[in-house]
Formats: sequence, C-alpha cells, structure tokens
Amino acid sequence: MVATVSYAKKDVYLSLSTKSTRASIGLADIIPTNATSDEMTLSKNIKNVLESDLLLSRHFNVAVAENTSYKFDLESQFAYWDTKGISVLLLGTLSIEEETYVNLEVKLYDAESHEIIWEDVYREKISDYRYLAHQINDEIVRRFTGEEGIACTKIVFTNDSTKFKEVYLVDYDGYNLKRLTKDNRLNILPKWIPDSPQIMYTSYLYNNPDLFVIDILKNKRKALSTIQGLNSPATFSPDKRNIVATLSRGVYPNLYILDKKGVVLRRLTEGKHIDTSPAYSPNGREIAFISDRAGYPQLYIMDAEGVNLRRISTKGNCDSPTWSPQGDKIAFTMKYDDNFDIFLYNLPRKRIIRLTEGQGNNENPSWSQDGRFIVFASTRSGKSEIYIMGSDGSETRKLVDMSGSSFTPSWSQTL
Amino acid sequence: MKKSLWLSFLFLCLVVSACAKKQTVTPEDVNPSEDPAATSFAQEPSIRGVESENVTELETVHFAFDSSAISDDVLVTLQNNVKYLKANPKINVVIEGHCDERGTTEYNLALGQKRAVKVKEIYVQLGIKAKRIVTMSYGKEMPIDKRHNEAAWAKNRRAETKAIKK
Repeated sequence: MVATVSYAKKDVYLSLSTKSTRASIGLADIIPTNATSDEMTLSKNIKNVLESDLLLSRHFNVAVAENTSYKFDLESQFAYWDTKGISVLLLGTLSIEEETYVNLEVKLYDAESHEIIWEDVYREKISDYRYLAHQINDEIVRRFTGEEGIACTKIVFTNDSTKFKEVYLVDYDGYNLKRLTKDNRLNILPKWIPDSPQIMYTSYLYNNPDLFVIDILKNKRKALSTIQGLNSPATFSPDKRNIVATLSRGVYPNLYILDKKGVVLRRLTEGKHIDTSPAYSPNGREIAFISDRAGYPQLYIMDAEGVNLRRISTKGNCDSPTWSPQGDKIAFTMKYDDNFDIFLYNLPRKRIIRLTEGQGNNENPSWSQDGRFIVFASTRSGKSEIYIMGSDGSETRKLVDMSGSSFTPSWSQTL
Repeated sequence: MKKSLWLSFLFLCLVVSACAKKQTVTPEDVNPSEDPAATSFAQEPSIRGVESENVTELETVHFAFDSSAISDDVLVTLQNNVKYLKANPKINVVIEGHCDERGTTEYNLALGQKRAVKVKEIYVQLGIKAKRIVTMSYGKEMPIDKRHNEAAWAKNRRAETKAIKK
C-alpha cells in the first residue's frame, strides 16, 4: 500500500457510535476516473466487497447508492444522501494504472457537517482488489471503534475431498480458497502461530503424527517436532518462544514445553491418563487443557509452569479449549446431551454458557482477533462444514461451500 | 515428468531435513528418581517414514466406546499375539491406536495413543521386551468401516499390531 495519510482531527471517530448501536455508512459508487469498462467493473467490485465487509463487521448499517451516484458532483452527493439517514459518507475515486494497478482515493465525510473525517490513497494490483477493500474496511472500523477489524484475516481448516485430509486457506469472507498441502496424506489440526503468516499442523507424511510448520508467504514447510508417537495437539505461546505440546514418548499422552524449534524443555503433566488440547491464555501465564484424569475428558486450567491446577467443567465430555483474545472467556466443545456443542466459560463470573444447540455436532471453536466472532465446524447441513457466528452465538453464516467435509478451523490475526 | 522430479526432490529435502533434526532432551528433563523400568518402557525407536505390514497371526483388538480398558476377550487375543511375537523374536512391532468417528479430533488422537499404550503394557507384562514395541495413534482419522452406525464404530475402535518392515 502506498499511502499519503492526512490524519483527521480525531484519530478515532467515536462520536457517531453513541447515536445508535450501529452507525450508518453511506456507500457511494466509486468514481472511475477514465470511465473505461475495466474501471467501471472494478469500481463495482470494490464497492461490493466494501459493503460486504462493513456488514460482516456488524459495527455498521450500510446504505448503498443507486448505480448513478458517481455522476454527482460533491454538492449533489450531499443533497442525495441528506434524505438517507446516514451519519457518514464514503466517497472514492479510482483509476487503473499501467494496466496492472488500481489506485483508489477514499474520503470519509461527516454527513451533517460535510467535514472530511479521514482520507487516504490505496494502491494494489488489480487482482488484489478484495484485499484493497478489506484494508479500507479495517481502517474505518479502527476509526469508529479503536479496535482492529477482521477483514484482512484468513482461516485455515482441513477438508477430505481428496479422500485424504489436506490443509486449506480461505479469506474470512469465504473468498480466495487455496489448498496448502498436497501430500495425499493425513494433515490435521492446522493452527496459526500467533501474529505470523505461519501455520502449525500435524502431518502423517512419515506415518507418525508429527508437527510441521508451513509459511504461507514463503510457501515453505518444515518439520518442527518429530518424536515417535504423539507430537500433537500443540500450541505456540503468545510470545512465540515456547510450544506446549502433547507428547506420548512411549507412554500416555501428557503435556510438555518445547522451545520454538521443537526441543523438549520440560514436562508439565504426568500420569497414566490423557492430558491434551493445550491452549495458552493471551498473557501466556496460564494453560487451559483437557484431561481424562477424572475418568472422562474435562476442562482444566493450570499456570504455565504446570502448577495450580483447577478443574473447570464438572460434567460432559470436553475438548478444544481456546482463550478469547481479551482473556476473559474460554470457548470449548462439550458433549452434554446427544451432540457436541460450543460452550463459553466466563472466567470472571465462573459460569459456563451454551452457544450452539440442536443443530448437529458443533466443534473446534476459534476466535476472531477482536473477540466478536467464533469460527467452528458444524454438521448441521448433514456433513461437517465451517461456520462463523457472533461470539454470543448469533447470526451464523457458512464460511465456504466446497465438496467433502471440512474440520478444525483456526482464525488468523491481521495478515 | 518435471513435476514428479520436483516432487521427489521436495520429498528428499523433507526427509533430509527431518533426519537432520535431532530431538534432544536437555539434562534438567532427566528425572534421577525415575524408575529405570519405566524409563526403558518409554524408550521407543523412531519408525518415522518406515512402512509396517499386517501379519495374519497378529490380531487386531477392539475397545468399548470412549474406553481403553482391556476386556477378557482382548486379553486372550493379546496372549495369542504374544505367542507369535515370542516365536518370532526378530519381528518388531508398531501398535496403532484408532477410534470411532464420534468425539473430537484432538481427544481421539490422545485416546488412540492410550489404547496403544494399554496393549503395549500387556505385551511387556507377558514378557515381550519394550524395545521391540513402538506406539502411535491415528485418532479417528483411519476408520476401516466408514459407515455411521454402531457396527462400524465397534470395528473402528481398535489397536492394530503391525510388523515393522526392515
């Protein structure tokens, strides 16, 4: 992105969000400078992605102009939008340069005072126009809420349509689906390494559940932990210095701390039972995990040093705990009645609440970086597929339509 | 042709990098009070990348739902497997633990391992040297019957003892 930033008077434009729960944004047609058919198509496409992003953010109501509004001058724009009940207006002008790049100038206006709240210039390859729109959305979200948007995030998961299990990558809105592994082997449990373009996953490439890391930018992978038996499930610490991993080492699956290169540093748990599915708290001080030491898999928390063990759940079969980015909740899977469902443990209130119910099995929750959404796998359609819901359980949408069954999603931070 | 060459190169690189990667255990990890018998029990050679094969005489055993308990029937089968292993002392084995499709990916991975270790414990108790045995888990990823009913699930909850190819 080449940006000429001219910051508005207020860095975060909070005043409008007090008028109603969601601010209304007017989205005008993006003006194609040279009015070529390529520019007109791109203008429409970028506006569509922006509209979708703003709606998916669930921070805004969006009013969209009819297809002629780019012909207006600024004064007629304001006149046109005056009756639409919007609080801010987004205007854009684009041009295609060197037949390869799209240059987009955006201005966000206060609909009442007509003052410019924010303006910027974006430049991307034409093929990356979705990413361009995602960046604009995230900047608008940041200005309204002070939080990071989620439009520039991706989700990894596994799918079995090749008859094996391979790792796939997709944008948070279901576009740009890409297969990452092509082994014709079992690849399971992909998980983002915090704040990086790298994914840790478990591969049976050598007939053993080994930990691998794949870098999506360099398109390279390497083995990380290859001890005979289990090396997984595992999670990187938030500071990326350590890995907590389930190792069997010839006996029962227990938890160990490895360094970032996969060298075993110390043992965390011990016993002739299962300790697995570790998840670090966002501050790195605690680890949530699953143990069947009580006779069935239950949710536990301990300090990252392996002491101060507390049992959280008291019933059901639990698995896949994952800490909210704010650290106040743990989402996990529990089989309480017939099916597996997503539950939240609220740490300050010490209460478990249910998020999904009566729609097949719902498993493997993973949080968006703003803590407002959860991606998970559900069999509600008859086969396992990936869905996103609000972190209160509301407004579920299917992430992507593809053949085969999909499992174990993990949500990235901004990439 | 080009593609397959590239793929085999990639595979070679991976093998080399994987072999070059030593799993070291730092001194503070070694617990001096640890039972020597337990330590030798846990010593497993890596068979990564090595193929294994089914042997007719080494029978698969099955488990109850969400359980790694060894039933009386299973014990009889394992005793027969031990007879074969004693008669064929040069055969080393891998025990693969498997689960049915119900339950989560992660927990089933651990449960499969637990099943494999339970079988290994029986083999060692019956006189097979622990160093001949390797354990691993496929979790619920490799069902032999892909149907979604109790008959299929019962077949899939299993531990297979396979001969390691040399």
